[in-house]
This record gives sequence, structure tokens and C-alpha cells, in this order.
Amino acid sequence: MLLEIVRQALYTMRLHRRWAALTVFGIVWGTASVVLLVGWGVGAHQMTDRGLQKVGKNLVYIMAGRVGADLSPADERRVLHLEMDDVAAVRASARRVEVASAEVLHFTLARYGAASRMTDVRGIEPAMQELRGVTLAAGRFISADDVRFQRRVAVIGQTARQRLLGSRPAVGQRIDLNGLSFEVIGLLSRVGTQLSRNRTETDEQVWIPLTTAQTLADRGNHIDLILARPSDRRFNEELKREVRTILARRLHVSPADEEAVFIISLIDMLSGFDSVFAFLNVFLIVLATTTLFIGGIGVMNMMLVSVNERRREIGLRLAVGARRRDVVGQFLAETLVITLVGGVTGIALGLLGCAVLGLLQGDLVPVPVIVPQVVVLALVVTMVVGVISGLGPACRAAGIDPSETLRVE
Amino acid sequence: MIALHGVTKVYRMGEVDVRALNGIDLQIARGDYVGVMGPSGSGKTTLMEILGCLSRPTTGTLEIDGRRVDQLDDVGLATLRGERIGFVFQTFNLLPRLTAVENVELPMLYRRTPRGQRRARALELLARVGLTSRATHRPSELSGGERQRIAIARALVNHPSVVLADEPTGNLDTATGDSIMSLIEDLHRDGQTVVLVTHDPRIAARVSRAVYLRDGVVERDHRTGQRPVPP
Repeated sequence: MLLEIVRQALYTMRLHRRWAALTVFGIVWGTASVVLLVGWGVGAHQMTDRGLQKVGKNLVYIMAGRVGADLSPADERRVLHLEMDDVAAVRASARRVEVASAEVLHFTLARYGAASRMTDVRGIEPAMQELRGVTLAAGRFISADDVRFQRRVAVIGQTARQRLLGSRPAVGQRIDLNGLSFEVIGLLSRVGTQLSRNRTETDEQVWIPLTTAQTLADRGNHIDLILARPSDRRFNEELKREVRTILARRLHVSPADEEAVFIISLIDMLSGFDSVFAFLNVFLIVLATTTLFIGGIGVMNMMLVSVNERRREIGLRLAVGARRRDVVGQFLAETLVITLVGGVTGIALGLLGCAVLGLLQGDLVPVPVIVPQVVVLALVVTMVVGVISGLGPACRAAGIDPSETLRVE
Repeated sequence: MIALHGVTKVYRMGEVDVRALNGIDLQIARGDYVGVMGPSGSGKTTLMEILGCLSRPTTGTLEIDGRRVDQLDDVGLATLRGERIGFVFQTFNLLPRLTAVENVELPMLYRRTPRGQRRARALELLARVGLTSRATHRPSELSGGERQRIAIARALVNHPSVVLADEPTGNLDTATGDSIMSLIEDLHRDGQTVVLVTHDPRIAARVSRAVYLRDGVVERDHRTGQRPVPP
């Protein structure tokens, strides 16, 4: 019986070839676009997340500013600074902090032979490797001993290497930073384009031991930045609260003072993007569903005509013992098959599109992701559209008087 | 086994009521071979509709095999049609996309007969009408006479109480028409009750009992004393 219905449905479509093509196109378009566009949106979301996280996964930046929220003008307010002890305090007391490390920023002249360039130099601790999620292409990373002994050693990024050393092997070379000679002990693997960055791309930076940087930049025991990371994204808010409380106490400011203790959480940015993409998804799905329903209207019209053309057939079926619900079921099923033909074709095209676009390369090119839930949704909506579109024709068919068959045209 | 008492059928056509049947009293016994005749507008077609349970009488009663059926609901009528009535139409009314055997199976589909049984019975009846060789052909590949035979096979498939034939030879040439009438008479000889509507006097001459309708009532109803001519 099912096979017969499928055959009949295909026949009806063949009979009204052009009409069927146009109306089913609406359904094909609706399903294809939802699979492809939502897949693309999800891909873009993942790409954005990855891009954002290239500076380091789930990073939280903590800085000290000025005492804020009082009535005196900004430049008269007390300037605050962070120190190594503060980092230790955060490590010790903030339960949600999994890793914390200090950073010193020093923009200075780097020189090698004739090549010289103002470079973003960072004083860091060994934990920075893990925090920033970088790997080494050659050599080794800054060690605890390097920090303890304030050694003049450097780990450089690929772009920095390109600019100073050209294509020479990096490890073992000596470069000048602010007039002082440093030995390059490590070369970072390429990180690539980052969607959020700390002034410059990681690839452009030169990393030296924290203590060395403090001396080089004449900072005493001040640090510029604490980087921290929670064990899981959901501890983001708690971590921020804990850090704020601990540092506010140490700096003698109110924990509510957001100008004194400055916290920027990558996770907040990610959540921001999450909302944007969620909205985009909903929007696309609504749009595609609308297209599907419009296609459904076309199918319904086509089936209404088909019912009219098949009055005698319907009358005959009734005459040989079909109940009205048998006729309703027949036409409902036929409409459903027609819409499903469109739906499945559209889904297949959407998946094909995802696969084809997936061949595109590039850091900032979003690759469509196949989202199974969307495929299922597209299928379900297609079926709903099929049933709704079929109701009109099916009821019309059921209303046909069986005595139609006795009338001779 | 079919009894109509005081049956009327009134249609509303716009502002006017049309009395297609104006009080029919008729009894058809098992095994009868009845011809229903009359001028156009006499109510022949409407009578067939009522007999075939395709529409309900406006007033009056209809009994089939001892059961009152005039007040059945749509589902009841549909079931009744499937079980008790076999139709043969002037225009054959075969489904063009089904093969001959599938067309014959159609009534059994609606009775939810299991597939094996359906196929067996359909083939049995195709053999009965002499068309086994055409089982897998579509109607478009068959001649008029062959199509009508398929339609007759279809009508017999559920062991109907009565076969109702509306101008069965209307769309056939004389020779083919004659062979179809022979087939119908064959069925009658086997005990099948047959009611046929015709305006062709040659067909009318072959039935055992002639019922004449005029203006929605039975004008004349007599046994012709005719015995069907053996083949």
C-alpha cells in the first residue's frame, strides 16, 4: 500500500511537472538553506570561539587601575599596582582559579644585525606556556630557573623571528632587547590570526623571564597583568568575585570598585558571541520554516487540483468499499510523500553544500558544520508541513459524493 | 433479498426540489436477473445509487439480506458496499495506474484482506472472466471488452449479494457488448443476482424481469418469461 502511494505521488508530480517543480522547490530551498546556513552559523560560532581562545583558553585578565568611584577627577585618584605577592595570594585563596600567572608588558626596541623593530616584549613565568596554550617549534620554554636567576633568555614568535632573523634558525641566536643581549632559547609554533589579542598577535611577541623584564623595564617588583583560568567555564563569575575580593582587600579598595581592579574575562566575550549566534540560529530557522510553509501552500494547491481531476477515481474507491477516512488517509499520505521528496532532496543538498564549503581553507573562513539536530528539525517540519498541506485536499477528497461514478460525463 | 418500500429521493437543485424517485416499492429475489428501463429523467440512475448504497433515500426503507440499511452512517454504508454490492459501470472505471489484477484486488484492499488471499482471489476471478493472460497489463493496454471483464471480475471479488450494472455495454460495440452480456448471463446462471440498467431494447430483451420506471415510480414490472440463451 505504501509503495502504491509513493508511486501515485510521483505520478501526480510528473503529471504537473512544472508546477510540482516550482512548489517543491520552495520546500527544497527551505530545508537546504536551514541545513546549510545553520551549519555555517555553527561553524562560524566555533571559529569565533577558536579565534577568541587562541590567546589562551578561558583566560581571565586581571589588572589594577586607579581608585575609582569617588568625586575627584580621574588623574588625581590614587594609582594602584599589582605585585608578585598578589599573584601568590590569588593562587592560594581563590578556589576557582586553576592556574594563575603574572605578566609584565614592555614595548621596546629589538635588534638583530641591521634589522631592528619596536617589539612587544613580555615578562612571563613558565605557567604562561600552558595558560596561552602555545607549543614550541624549536628549543625550550622559559623555566623557573630562568626566572629565579633573571637570565637574559628569550622565546620568540614566528612573526617576530621572521622580522628579525629572516629564515635563519632561531635557537642559539643572540638578539638585542633595549640594548641588552639576549639568547634565543625557544621558538613558538605558529598561532595564527587571533580574534582577540593583547595589543599584538602572539606570533609577533618576544617572551623573556618575568624578573628580567621587571629589571629591564625598571618596574621593581610590580607586575602589569595577572592571567588566570578557571577549571571550567561555568566558574567564571565565581572566579571574578573571588579575585576581586582578594585583590580589593590587598589594595585597600572596595571590591565593587571596577576601576581599581579591572577584570576582563574571555568567557564573558564568548558568552556574548553565544547570544549573537543563538539569535542568528533562531532567525535562520524561522526564515527557513516560513519558506517551507510557503512551499507547502503550493503543494496544497497542486493536490487540490489533483483531487478535482480524480473525482471519478475517488468516487470509484468509495463505491468499492473505501471509507472516507481511507480516502483522507490516501491523499494525506500522498501529500506527505511529495513534501518529503522535497525535504529529503533539500537536506541532501544542504549536506552536500556543507561538505563542499568544508573544503575551503583559512583561519578566518568559517567551515559549515553538520548539525544533526537541524537535520532532524528540517525533516520534522517538512512532515508537519506535509500533513497540514494535505488536510485541505484530503478533506475535499473525502467530501466527494460516491454517486459521481455513475454519472457519465 | 433486496426490498424497497416507499422510497423517495429528493434533490435540491438551487431553489427547486427535484423528486428523482417518487415512491418506489420493489422486491428483488435472490438469483433474479432484473433490467431497469425508462426514459431519461425517470430515475433509473438514482435507483441504482440507492440500491448500491451510494446515497440514502429521503424517505422509505431499504432492506438488504434482511437488514435495514437506509439509516446507516457513512462508514456503515461503505462497509456494506464493500461486502454486498458489486458495481459494473458504463465507463468501466478502472484505475489507470494499476494493473488488471491490482484493479480486481481493490475492493479487498479496503476490507483489509491479507495480501496472499487477495492475490489468489483476484487471479481466480480473472480466470473466471478469461483474462489470466492479461493480469499484469494496465487498462490502457486493454480493449474495451477486456476492461469491462476486469470490471466484472472486480465486482465479484467480495462475493456480492447483487451485481449492479449501469449500461454495461454502453461503451462497447455490438459484438463485444454481446460477449459481455453472455458473461453476465453466465453469472446469473451460477446464481448471482444481477440488476442492470439499460435503455437498449436489445439488452432489455434478454433479462428475466423488466422493471419500467417513469417519473420516479415503477410503471410496469413483469417477468419476461425469458430464459437466458445458453452460450
